[in-house]
Amino acid sequence: MNMPYRLNRFVIADPGKCIGCRVCEIACAAVHEKEQTPLTVGNMQNPVQPRLYLVRSVQGSVPIQCRHCEDAPCAAACPVLAITQKEDVIFVDESLCVGCKTCMLACPFGALKLVPVFENGLPVEQNLPLHPESQHQGGSTAGEKEEYKQLHVASKCDRCSGLAEPACVANCPQQALKVIQPERHLTMRMHEAALSLAAVARKYAS
Amino acid sequence: MNAFVIGDAELCIGCQACMVACAQAHEKMPTAALNERETPFHSRITVVNAPEVTVAVQCRHCEDSPCARSCPVEAIVQKNAHIEVIKEKCIGCKSCVLACPFGAIKIIEDDMNCAAIFISPHDGTAHDRIEKAHFVVEKCDLCAGCGSPACVAICPAKALQLVEPDAIAQKIENRRIKNANRIRLYRSQLA
Amino acid sequence: MKTPIITIDQELCTGCGRCREICPVGAISGMPDTPHEVDSTRCILCGQCVQICSGYDSANETFATSRVERLKQRGMLPTVKEPLFAAHYRGDINAVVAALQQPDTFTIVQCAPAVRVAIGEEFGMPYGTLTPGKLSAALHALGFNRVYDTNFAADLTIMEEGAELINRIKNKGRLPMFTSCCPGWVKYVEDQHDDLLDHLSSCKSPQQMAGTLFKTYGAKLDGIDPAHVFSVAVMPCTCKKFECERPEMNSSGYQDVDLVITTRELAQLIKHCGIDFTSLPDEAFDNPLGCYTGAGNIFGATGGVMEAALRSACEMLTGTPLPSLELEYVRGEEGIRRATICHEGVELKVTIVAGLQYVGSVLEQVRRGEADFHFLEVMCCPMGCVSGGGQPKILLPAQRLEAHAGRKAGLYSHDKSLTVRKSHENPQIKKLYENFLGEPLGHEAHHLLHTDHQQNRRAV
Repeated sequence: MNMPYRLNRFVIADPGKCIGCRVCEIACAAVHEKEQTPLTVGNMQNPVQPRLYLVRSVQGSVPIQCRHCEDAPCAAACPVLAITQKEDVIFVDESLCVGCKTCMLACPFGALKLVPVFENGLPVEQNLPLHPESQHQGGSTAGEKEEYKQLHVASKCDRCSGLAEPACVANCPQQALKVIQPERHLTMRMHEAALSLAAVARKYAS
Repeated sequence: MNAFVIGDAELCIGCQACMVACAQAHEKMPTAALNERETPFHSRITVVNAPEVTVAVQCRHCEDSPCARSCPVEAIVQKNAHIEVIKEKCIGCKSCVLACPFGAIKIIEDDMNCAAIFISPHDGTAHDRIEKAHFVVEKCDLCAGCGSPACVAICPAKALQLVEPDAIAQKIENRRIKNANRIRLYRSQLA
Repeated sequence: MKTPIITIDQELCTGCGRCREICPVGAISGMPDTPHEVDSTRCILCGQCVQICSGYDSANETFATSRVERLKQRGMLPTVKEPLFAAHYRGDINAVVAALQQPDTFTIVQCAPAVRVAIGEEFGMPYGTLTPGKLSAALHALGFNRVYDTNFAADLTIMEEGAELINRIKNKGRLPMFTSCCPGWVKYVEDQHDDLLDHLSSCKSPQQMAGTLFKTYGAKLDGIDPAHVFSVAVMPCTCKKFECERPEMNSSGYQDVDLVITTRELAQLIKHCGIDFTSLPDEAFDNPLGCYTGAGNIFGATGGVMEAALRSACEMLTGTPLPSLELEYVRGEEGIRRATICHEGVELKVTIVAGLQYVGSVLEQVRRGEADFHFLEVMCCPMGCVSGGGQPKILLPAQRLEAHAGRKAGLYSHDKSLTVRKSHENPQIKKLYENFLGEPLGHEAHHLLHTDHQQNRRAV
């Protein structure tokens, strides 16, 4: 591996621009629907399950999502190799996930969550046998008693790797989200730092 | 206050000797063996060679530094009089890269053999997966392990200077004294 | 007193302020990051806030109100699965379900033009897919006794409004004349510009003309007591819910339109009843009140009412038809468009406003007596009814323009494909005048199809 390796790109939000409208969450959930991407709200038959999370507090709002760490703790924690580096994203293969939740604990950003699985608006059942006396709360409606337990898998940002631009970035009405390419970011910052040195360093140092 | 190395844009000739010295100073193996090694050459200082300016840029060891505050796993810490990376803790999340206003933090491939994540080939199955190299954050540590900064020592143009807290304090004190004298010169006009 | 038609759910609103920005009449207020509120005295019920709102019932937050409870509060079907947003309108679908189950109730339904180019989207079809056949089939399958069409009444509106315009021009009546199809626009003139009320055409909107006819002419044709008729309108609009409840809208002797549901509500009902919309075979609308021309169909887009009116009015004025029916100069997306039509020595000047926020300068011009045009069309919503508050809500803001353009293209392509494209050539309209109404602006027509805006204003 002598080839220069490109660092993982990631999406980050500018808290100064974010107005907390949740469009990023909606857009994220829409493009990750398993069947075709729904165009209208009426086609959203599964609950909205975004892979980024709007955090609201007294200081304002900002969405949080995966940073695609180079030495990703979630991937290191996964016992079944369901989380790997795929091209330049850290990718969860939901078909391999066993729902052990270790990745959830490992992620320092809270960007990874185990989410219930739905298909065509209906919950997908787990295969495990239930104890005859067990009462499980499943389904989309809280409090509804079901005879099964719903499947849960790890879910996180995949930076919409199949699309030209991540859906959250493309749809933010405030242009508060952007894709960071670390190398380009570094070069820009170093350049700015050099320019500021040209202006002050001589007077300052001598 | 932390000490730091600063470049002088007027003196720097862009020779990159500082970069070589930096890389060498942080290697444990002998210089001759470095050529044999597979991982690339890494320096914690960068010579910016732009049309407008040529100067070396590196960590300013900020007080309450943004990189350390942004790190979710406390891998960047204050150690004695400088800001240091504990690379065993780094997860490569790049928060510090965003936080640093100087572009002084780099993520480099490390020869530390503790990689635990795998690369999935486009069409591959689980057993085809190959181990990913280990990436960690690196930045200037003022050559804390080996006395004085190697970049400062090697610079042929004397364009790099180690600024120490006491020296700054002395320098600005001198400036105040000078200016106090200047005020006395035109005090009659003020009256 | 019914619940207000447009409200913002204080629990779900994140205070992003996008509704405040889009509201054309400044009826929404609130501080950033705190729930916003609608001032119902200013609100013209266009529902653009409902369309833009993105504060939904996130599973990552806990709310005091459960989803079941929220659906009930909003008058929605319990089977609705889609996410619920903060800005919403009052649902009326449960009353439709109840009426359809009443054996002695004769249910009649009408659909606005913009519904047939949008409802398919709720079932996964591309933006603007034209589905009049499936729409009619679905309404028959739901059990409506008569599936009529607002498009028919749109043709009728052209007969009356065209005649009124010619009358005002010939007899030096109040000009420019304003269209009166858009209930939000009418409410806006009443609320904020009542000195200009006499500019408004006295014609009722197509929805209300249709409603009146269903309980008079329609009931007579079917030999039904109008007291047993339950008349439902499917609309792309949220303000139509308000319009049908106006106290003066009872020329038939009963409330002319009993209930208005939106395109989205109808789609939810179709899903609720387990009807597979996409595989329905095409069915026609019922005759005679479901027969329409291309002119009636383009009412759903900005400039459409104008184009339909010009196609008939120019011919009525000069006796010669227009050389081309593609009046491109009145189509377009700008906020304000102006055009002059010269035909056989007659010169007609028109102005079209798309989006109520643009109307201010035009009204000022009229008030100062500087308006040199004869006819003004105003639609509250940005591209006319295709982008109305009751239309399928577009998920990704980046696709809004594409969606609206698709729906508009659907309307015009439908117009082009129809053999009869001028309202006055609609055979059933001719028959209606022969057998029932007499002539445009005649006594019966005046009683059933017109309203007195000044009197309505005084009544409030």
